[in-house]
Amino acid sequence: MELREFFSESVVELDLKGESKDEVIKEMIALLGLDEKSEGILYKMLKRRENLGSTGIGKGIAIPHCRSLVVNRLRVAFGRKASGVDFKSIDEQPVRHIFLIVAPPLEVSNQYLPVLGKIAQFAREPDVPERLNAMQSPREFLALLEEKNL
Amino acid sequence: MHAQLQILLEIQDLKTQRRELLETPGERDMEEQVFHVSIDDALAKLEEKIREMEDSLSAQVRGRYQRLAGRRGRVVVPVIRGTCYGCFVSVPTSLASDAERNQDLRSCENCGRFLYLID
Repeated sequence: MELREFFSESVVELDLKGESKDEVIKEMIALLGLDEKSEGILYKMLKRRENLGSTGIGKGIAIPHCRSLVVNRLRVAFGRKASGVDFKSIDEQPVRHIFLIVAPPLEVSNQYLPVLGKIAQFAREPDVPERLNAMQSPREFLALLEEKNL
Repeated sequence: MHAQLQILLEIQDLKTQRRELLETPGERDMEEQVFHVSIDDALAKLEEKIREMEDSLSAQVRGRYQRLAGRRGRVVVPVIRGTCYGCFVSVPTSLASDAERNQDLRSCENCGRFLYLID
């Protein structure tokens, strides 16, 4: 199981428009293509998770995540906000790169935690933040995932 | 979506989050070490929110919810490809293909759990 398998170009947005944490979370959810009610429930769950502690892990990276009945398989998305957004991160720095992970409550393949761990590992690679800043297309993002071989 | 079903889904998701923190060491470690979450604080907040959401259910639905929670654990389950994911018995075709998906509060005829239709 490699991270690249979970991403496609359609779930990568390199120009998030939102100016606040809430707005970019909504934009990220929209990348998953759920119906409106499901999007609303998922937004509430992600907000509640954020209320337990920010998912901004520092170095400009956040990984909002939760389990929810509104998805029937693991879903991920990546978004970039070049100017940064206040995510109440651990290091109090603005977030530029956001990885969204949502999984159903029960997974036969049990991918949620390993994928969450791999994304955290990917995000912490020293060259990754700079390369995420520089990339021009979703395809480059997918290529970086492949290169890192996580 | 039926308003009560929406509340039930939210309760179920909150309970899932609580269960993961209580029973899955990997998830607890991840939240503590990567995201610096205080597990005790998180559990207390989740507990409070679950109670608040349970109180917002109608009396009739809350009664069924409490009976199911005591007997079956999971109260709301998805229907995926025509199968109830609580008891893994097929649900009637008319229900599984309902054009007005999740507009009504429906239950599995076999296990009694509330059903959430999902693609």
